Amino acid sequence: MGLAVSLVFVMLSAPDLALTQLLVEMVTITLMLLALNYLPPHSPVEPSRARRWRDGAIALAAGAGVSALVYAMMTRPADTIAGELLARSLPEGYGSNVVNVILVDFRALDTLGEIAVFGIAGLVVHALLRRARLRPWEVMPGRPDRLPMPGVLTQLLFPMALAVSIYLFLRGHNQPGGGFIAGLVLAIPLLLQYVIQGSQYVDSRLGFDYARCVGAGLLLAGATGIASMWLGYPFLTSGHVEPNLPLVGEVPLTSAMAFDAGVYLVVFGGSMLILSMMGGIKPPLANLRSHAK
Amino acid sequence: MMEFALASGIGAMTACGVYLLLRARSFDVILGLTLLSYATNLLIFSAGRLAVGKPPVLQEGLPATLANYTDPLPQALVLTAIVIAFAMTAVTIVVAMRSHSDNGSDHVDTREPGDGK
Repeated sequence: MGLAVSLVFVMLSAPDLALTQLLVEMVTITLMLLALNYLPPHSPVEPSRARRWRDGAIALAAGAGVSALVYAMMTRPADTIAGELLARSLPEGYGSNVVNVILVDFRALDTLGEIAVFGIAGLVVHALLRRARLRPWEVMPGRPDRLPMPGVLTQLLFPMALAVSIYLFLRGHNQPGGGFIAGLVLAIPLLLQYVIQGSQYVDSRLGFDYARCVGAGLLLAGATGIASMWLGYPFLTSGHVEPNLPLVGEVPLTSAMAFDAGVYLVVFGGSMLILSMMGGIKPPLANLRSHAK
Repeated sequence: MMEFALASGIGAMTACGVYLLLRARSFDVILGLTLLSYATNLLIFSAGRLAVGKPPVLQEGLPATLANYTDPLPQALVLTAIVIAFAMTAVTIVVAMRSHSDNGSDHVDTREPGDGK
């Protein structure tokens, strides 16, 4: 389903959305598969036929209503403020990817709130699962198999993904990419390592505190906003310099890039926090179980 | 024509989402919420009107007006909405798991219907 939505975005010329949807889809599916192990395998069929018909009728009415709404909206003449945003993106936001400029510059306060919500969601999952002992529906007998070849491949993949992710992050202001997509691109190969090698192995090797990563990202994004207040501009005003570095030449730098780095850290840290907590749930202790029942 | 196809697609997703939501079982509710969030994202996205083959990124020599490019504002809004929807799904899943393990039922009322409590 998510892949179909992603293809719709590709067709309707929205590459940023297509990439984000594709990456989020991979993470969501992993999350759902992990959760299915702790939820009942079958939902009981609704016994009452009247209720099934009633629910079906409500669902059909809702679907038809939304269809009519969308169709009516799309077939009337458009008059938006987007022309203004397009015209101002290059002279005032110094970026040609207007979607990213809106996210990290024009509407950066929205984005700041949004990454705060994302970070809080990560922490809620952390708090709910930190001491939880849940019983999975099925436990495979014996120790989990070690898969040497996929294990090595995912380890090889990780530095490459790091490079791709930094590349997507750096070009995000002018080409499709940016902090959200780069953070997810970095999270997915790490997620593969968790899937193939088990959470204890990766945690012991990497020893990375994702909650701190979320905090650091939020601090960085907030500090970027406050820095502009020190210079006498409103909160989250974007600055722009083009320093002449040796060897590299002129490098266009905007302060929105530091903000985007904050987004990058929060998205990476938050999604890894959620997934590593899901992967590391401990089974209930034997005596606890007998005590509870 | 394309507008009609997309509108009916969004409607079908909403209908499935609402029906699953009304099943009131935790995993069904999670799937229903996911479908509803896809539908909502596409709804917000379609507010920018559909454009096939227009450049989304500013190019040199093409004046920056809405006639030459896709509408970036709904795209930016939907991009954050996709990520928020993921966070929301994750929290819902974890709450469902804890609820199931603490209450012994995956019904959203935390007890089976007709238990008479």
